[in-house]
This record gives sequence, C-alpha cells and structure tokens, in this order.
Amino acid sequence: MSTQSLISRYGRLTIFMIPIGIAINFVGGQLALLLKLPVYLDSIGTILVGALCGGIPGALVGLVSNGINSITSPPTLAFGILNVMFGLLAGWLGRRGVFTVLWKTLASAVPFALIGGFLGALITLWVFGGLAVGGGALVVGALMAAGLDVTTANFVAQVPMDFLDKVPTVLAVYVVLRGIPRRIFAKLPLGEVYLRAKGVTPAPVPTASQPTPGGLR
Amino acid sequence: MDLATLRDVTFTYAYAEMPALEGVTLQLQRGQLYGVVGINGSGKSTLCSLLRGLIPHFHQGTLEGTVEILGKDLGEWDAAELSRTIGCVFDNPFTQISGIKDTVFEEIAFGLENLGVSRSDMLDRVTSVSEQMGITALLRKNPNELSGGQRQKVAFASIIAMDSEVLVIDEPTSQLDPQSSHAVFEIIADLKARGKSIVLVEHKIDLMAQFADRLVVMRSGEVVAEGPTAQVLASPAMDAADVPRPEVTDLAFALEAVGKGLGCVPVTRREAEAAIATRMRGTQIHADRVA
Amino acid sequence: MSALSPEAASAPSGGTFDGVVSHGNWIRDMHPLNVAVVLASISLLALATPRPVGLVSGCVAFLGIAVAAGVGGSFARLYAKLVVGVGLVLFVLRAAFVHGNHVLFELGPLAPTWEGVREGTTFALVVMALCGALTLYFVLVPMKTFMLALELKGMPPQATYILLASFQAITDLGRSARTVMDAQKSRGIETEGNLWVRARAFVPILAPVFITALNQTEERAIALDARAFNSGIPHTHVLQLRPAPAWERAATALTAAACLATIGAGLLWT
Repeated sequence: MSTQSLISRYGRLTIFMIPIGIAINFVGGQLALLLKLPVYLDSIGTILVGALCGGIPGALVGLVSNGINSITSPPTLAFGILNVMFGLLAGWLGRRGVFTVLWKTLASAVPFALIGGFLGALITLWVFGGLAVGGGALVVGALMAAGLDVTTANFVAQVPMDFLDKVPTVLAVYVVLRGIPRRIFAKLPLGEVYLRAKGVTPAPVPTASQPTPGGLR
Repeated sequence: MDLATLRDVTFTYAYAEMPALEGVTLQLQRGQLYGVVGINGSGKSTLCSLLRGLIPHFHQGTLEGTVEILGKDLGEWDAAELSRTIGCVFDNPFTQISGIKDTVFEEIAFGLENLGVSRSDMLDRVTSVSEQMGITALLRKNPNELSGGQRQKVAFASIIAMDSEVLVIDEPTSQLDPQSSHAVFEIIADLKARGKSIVLVEHKIDLMAQFADRLVVMRSGEVVAEGPTAQVLASPAMDAADVPRPEVTDLAFALEAVGKGLGCVPVTRREAEAAIATRMRGTQIHADRVA
Repeated sequence: MSALSPEAASAPSGGTFDGVVSHGNWIRDMHPLNVAVVLASISLLALATPRPVGLVSGCVAFLGIAVAAGVGGSFARLYAKLVVGVGLVLFVLRAAFVHGNHVLFELGPLAPTWEGVREGTTFALVVMALCGALTLYFVLVPMKTFMLALELKGMPPQATYILLASFQAITDLGRSARTVMDAQKSRGIETEGNLWVRARAFVPILAPVFITALNQTEERAIALDARAFNSGIPHTHVLQLRPAPAWERAATALTAAACLATIGAGLLWT
C-alpha cells in the first residue's frame, strides 16, 4: 500500500513537464519570429506534452501558454481554446502511437491544421468580427478587398496558413520525441507507447547479454 | 538500530542490460560519516538513490534482496516521511534550484515552507544556515542567476536547513574550488558532530581521507570494501576499484617500496607531516651522531 | 541581520523577509485579490457606460492608477505598445475593410467608410479597456504575490508551481536557445538568407535545447521531493501579505458595487 503511495507520488513527472511545455511554446514562437519565419510555431510544447503525458496535461500547457501570453498580448486569450484543443488532440493521437511513425506524425498536421484553421477562423469571426491582429488579418483584409465576404475570407486564409504552421510543428515534435531517453519515457503516462515502438518490453532484462558496464540507463 | 542494512541487493534499472548494483551487502551505522568512492558508473549514485528510497519507486527496475532503512523495510516506509527523514543533495546545481523563488532567502526557506515550519523558526534557520555556509551576501540575489558554485552552496544550504536526521550527499562540491570544497566538508563534519548520519559520495579523495569515518569502495555495482577510512585507503581494494589514494598515502607506499617506510600509512596531510617530521628528527639525530 | 534590514530592501519582491511584503505605496500594497476586483470593476464599468466616453475614461483611469501607484512610466510604455500593436491595428483594419454607405475616400481597392472608422474606434477601445486592466494588474502585482494570494485561498501548491516554474523555464530555455543558436552559427548553420535556409535552422537549434530541458525534469522531480514538496503537510509561507485595512476593503466593495449598480441600471433601462 505504501509502495503504491510512493509510485503515485513519483509518477508525477507530468507536473514538471507542463512548465517545460509552456516554455517550449514560447521559445519556439520567439525563434520563429527571430528567424523571420512566416509561421507561429508556438504550439510545439502543447503537442509534445499532449503526446507524452496525455490530453489533459497537453491542454493545460495550451491554456497556461495563452494565459501568460495574454499578459503582454491580450487578444491571444481569445484563441486559448485552440491551444487547448491541440493538447487534447495530441493526447488522443499520442495514445494511438501516431507520433512514433514519421509519416503518421506528418499526417497529423492535417487534423491540427483543420482545428487551428476552422476554429481560429470562427473565433476571429465571433470575437473580432473577422479582423483580429497579426499577419493573418492582413491576408483576410486583402481577400475582403478582393471581393470575398468576411466569413469566406477567414476560412480561405486561415486553414492553409495553419497547415503551413503545423507541418514544421509536428516535425519538431517528432524529432524531440526521438531524442528522449528511455528512462524518461518510463516515467511518463504515455511513455510506454514510445518504448513499445522502440521494441522494448517494459520488463527489464537482468541477464548480461552485452558487455556494457553500468548498463544503458 | 542501524542506518541501513542491505542484504544481497541487486538492482537493474528498467530497460538496462546490466545490473547497476550487484549482490551488495552493507551495514551502515548511525552517527557516522560514510564516504562512498568508486569510478564513474561504479554504482555510487545508484546506492544513494536506493538509500533515499528513489529506487525502486521513482527509478523503476528489478530490486532483489532486502533493504532496511532505520530498521524498517524500504517498502514499508511512508514516502513523505522518508523524504523528511533522509535529506538528499546531488551534484547538478542547476536542477536543484526550485525555479519558483526569486531570492536565495526564499529558496532556502522553500523546504521549510513545505514542512510547515513556523515563520519565525524559518527566519532563524535560514539566517543561521546561510551564515554557516557563508552565503549571507547572496540572500537577496535571484538563485536562478547565480553561478554553478553559488547554486551548489544554495542547494546544500536548502537541504541542511531542513534538519533531517540522515543526509545522502552525492558530489556536493563538483562545482566548487578547493577552498569552498573544504568549507563544505567542514560543515558536513559539523553536521556529523551534531549527531546526523551521513552518506557522502565524493571524488576528492584527500578530503574523504580527512573527514570520512568509514569508506565504502565500489566497483561495477559491487561493494569491494567497507571499513575504517585509514584501513580501507591502505588496502588493495583501492587498486582493484581503480580509485586513486591520497597523495600522501601514495608517497608512503613509494617510500616503503624502496625500503624506507615511514612505519605507518598516513592518509591525511597532517599524519604525513607528523610521520615525516618524526623521520626528519630521527635523521637529524642520526646525522648528529655521525658528525 | 543587516542583509535583511529594510534599508537593503531592493529584492525583486520589494519587501523585507522579516516583515510583510511592502512596496511603500498604498496601491501596490493592496491585497492582490482586491486589486483584481477593482481593476475588473473599472473595466466592466467602462464597457457598460455610454461609448466612447466610458471606454476612454476607463483607459485614462488605468493610467491614473498607474501614476498614483508609482508605476506610471512602465505601465505607459507597455500600454502604448499595446495601443499601437493591437488597438491601432484593430482600428485600421476595420476602418479600411468594413463596408458602409459613407465612403470617406478611395485608395485603389480600399474604400474606408465612416461606419468602419466608428466601428474600429469602438472595438479598439473595448479591447484596450480590457487589455488595460490585465496589463496594469501584472505591472502592479508581482506574479509570486498573486500566486501566494491564490494559494492562501486554497489553490494547491502544485498549480502555483506550474505557473511560477513556467516563467522561469521560459527565461532559462530562451537563454539556452540563444546559446545554442550562437554555437550553431559558429559551426556554420545559417540563420539568415532565404526562407528555406532559415526554416532549416529551426529544428537543429531547438531540438537539443528542448530535449535537455525535458531530461532535466527527472532531477527537478527528485530535487523538489527532497525539499518535501510532497510532504502533505499544509505549507507555511515566508512571504506575508499585508492584511487588508478597513479602508481598502471598503474601497474595493464600493468599486464593485458601483460597477454592479451601473450594469444593473443599464440592463433595467433597456
């Protein structure tokens, strides 16, 4: 019983992953700005934590990220729901092993972009009447000037733009996931998915089959 | 009641090929300062994790044999109680800072806050510990902006402020200069003098020779020797484990090898100085006689 | 104890350790939750009163509070950035693209209308009235004092940890990213040039930084456990919030009441 309490207590690497996920969202976004990339890349941490720890921690990363961001850029708050959805979806996909295979990971950019594009467009329409801030708004404005109505302009602009953002995002997630050592996976809620994909059975092998002193940890 | 009793303990980390500890049988007494030495990968840190209860509950794997901490089986310990009873400091000063406090004062107080220590006690303890560690000048600084060495001192101060009965300390001086390292060892000796039981992993063998009561020598997951420091340092187990001896001990062995042994095996500078002084006086008397 | 004397009170907390947190200013010394109530009330009042007078007064009120609290300069700088980066953009986009009957002038495909300008002004002001409260709050109240107030109201320390650790992690990770970026640059990875070149630099810079940070969570978990973070004992706090004096509670209640009354009256009227 006390063993159980020890396990449940230490099983919580998750609460230490959440702040890192939030920081990853920020630093990814900042670097995208610094490199003058035309994409946001500010949901890598959300998807990463969702993929490793499950939907709820992922959603939390998204929520807090947008909350913190809103201190300096309040309109971000309105789009918090997107980042929450990314986290939930990443958890759902992660559990199904999507992020263990490169092509499946790349394919996941489609649902992420659909959520980001459609929901993003809807929020822009509902909260900002179709014209929010950021590079996207200029494209929307240009499309409107070209004769599209505000609703169409938002969907036409935002869905492809979000796809452009999500492909490098999920690629970064994939690269990072491949770099995480086994002993960290072993302490994360969805770690087993990745360990199984690496062909590792959760039971340790006590026999010395390879002469590696100290063993691989 | 002993500090820890390990009987034929073998531990293999999950997903590892080889056991990190193999057939370890060890009895550690209370109120002693145990030094643990061995080359990298010899199992020192794994031993610390075990004593601290991180194995097998945090680091999964297979644990065989029996481990008793303060007379109670490891599995029967309440987790929170174990972490209160056994303080732990490890080598990386960067991850040991909580990351949620913006002054060193609050950083040191953090552990006390978590223990529910009253505010006035907290202020007293933080003040006295920081005086002891010589870091009062840092108290108002941001712990996240300090150098590695300063962080290491803060991390150490934070743990000793919590005043636990047992301390497991893994390379507390990895980022410190010789002077600060010596100061940290003085503090560790002082803690022992106040009745704490201490298990200390450290590469600086000269300091170990001077301060540790007993030494545990490890090699590829096994304990190859355990006993009084001077005795262990002079034993062949040190060679077997590839652990260097203190300079003065090597010197004594070298003299012995050429037939000019000091008549004892010094392990600290002071002992060596005494032995050499005696020899010099002897030589002087001898020389006087010849003259 | 000279290091802890009030004279040395230059710590980021602004207070002394042996007393309560104090900034030596009555607004900044208000209870964090009272500040929240007051600023939220002003914001709502600004939205509920006739436009655009109410909205403008709201924004001016924030500026006034900031000056009275002695943070006028830093707030004005932040707020100005928001006005330009958010408010102005929202206004210009609406002025330029919202269709209407009263066209002001024509410039190529653009035909700004009087309706667009009016909608733009109102919308930008609404957003600024909301932003002002949020921005001012975090200029007035340090995050850790806010967290302490929430923890004293029963928020679990784990939640406080996540929030406070996030800020530090952003700083730390940003710092390591810059270090790696400089290192990669010196190793010949280009960070300038055409889009494809810049895009390719992204993952090699960030992946190692992110992986290291994720690896360190293990030691962080051990370190926090060593500090009895999971002790299960109710935590005490070295920082103390100043107990709110009667006038402060009265002022807070009054502001909230005025806000509710105005909104209530507005609802009854229509």
